[in-house]
Amino acid sequence: MSSPYGIQSKKLAMWLFIVADASTFGAMLFAYGFLRLANPAWTRPFAFSPTIVNGSVMTVVLLTSSLTMVAAVVAAHAGRTPAAIRWLGATMLLGTVFAVLHLREWFAMIGEGWRLFQNPLGGSPLFGATFFGITGLHLLHVVCGIVVIGVIATGFRRGRFDADHVETTSLYWHFVDLVWMFVFPLVYLMNVR
Amino acid sequence: MTATPAGRGPTMQSYVLVWIGLILIVGVEVFLTYERLSAGTLLASLLVLALIEAALAVMYFMHLKYERPALFWSLIPYLVFALVMMDHFWPDALRLMHQRLSAP
Repeated sequence: MSSPYGIQSKKLAMWLFIVADASTFGAMLFAYGFLRLANPAWTRPFAFSPTIVNGSVMTVVLLTSSLTMVAAVVAAHAGRTPAAIRWLGATMLLGTVFAVLHLREWFAMIGEGWRLFQNPLGGSPLFGATFFGITGLHLLHVVCGIVVIGVIATGFRRGRFDADHVETTSLYWHFVDLVWMFVFPLVYLMNVR
Repeated sequence: MTATPAGRGPTMQSYVLVWIGLILIVGVEVFLTYERLSAGTLLASLLVLALIEAALAVMYFMHLKYERPALFWSLIPYLVFALVMMDHFWPDALRLMHQRLSAP
C-alpha cells in the first residue's frame, strides 16, 4: 500500500517531529510573550552594537547554511556525491560559526552579570530565564543538527545512506533556521534599548 | 547548478532568490526596529515578516510546495490550531491565578 503523502516514512516521521518541536518552541515563545506583558519592569538591554549586529550576522550565517543545505540535497539527488559532501561540510561549518557567535554573546552577557534568574540592570529577573531558555534550546538544536549532518555526511560518503537521508536531514536543519526567524525578532529586536 | 531534487521542485536559482528574499526581510526587520514605532505596531510588523519568512522556508527550502497537498493539509492547519489555542488558553491561566483566594 503506498503512502497517501507520496513520501518515505522517514520523511513523514521528520515532519511529525518538526510539528511537535514547533509546538514546543511556540509554547516557549508564548510564555515569553505573556511574561513580558505581565512585567512592567521588563528589561530591554540590547544595544545596536554589539548585540543586534552580532544577531544579524548570526541570522545571515544561519540563512546561508540553509542555502548550502539545499545545494547538498540537489547534489545528492543528482548523484554528485563529492559535491554533496562539500555542501554538507559547508553547512556544518556555518552552523559551527553560528554556535560560536552565540556562545561568545552568552559569555559576554554572563560576564556582565546576567544569569538565569539574575538581572544586573535591576529589572525583571525573568529576562535571563526567557533569554537563556529560548536561545539555549535553539542552540542545542543547532549543535544536534551539526552532529547529525556529520553522521549523515559520513554515511552518505560510505554509501550507507542515500540522497533521501540527506533530504530528510535537511528538513531538520531548515526547521532550526525557521525557529531562529522568530527568535531573532521577538527575543532580540523587541528588546532593543 | 540547476538540477532539482529527484527532478522536481525549484531550481538552484530559485533557492538563491528565496535566500536573497529572506536576507532582505531580515534587513527590513532591523530597519523597522529603529523607526520608533509603537511596541504593538513593531510587534505586529515583525510577526508578519517572520511569518512570511517561515512560509518561504517551509514552501521552498523544506519543499512542502512540491509535495502532495495532503501533506500540507495534514500538518499545517493542526499546528496553527495548536498555537492559536496556546495563545487563547494561557492568558486564561493568568486570569485564574488572580482569582485564587488568599490563604486563611
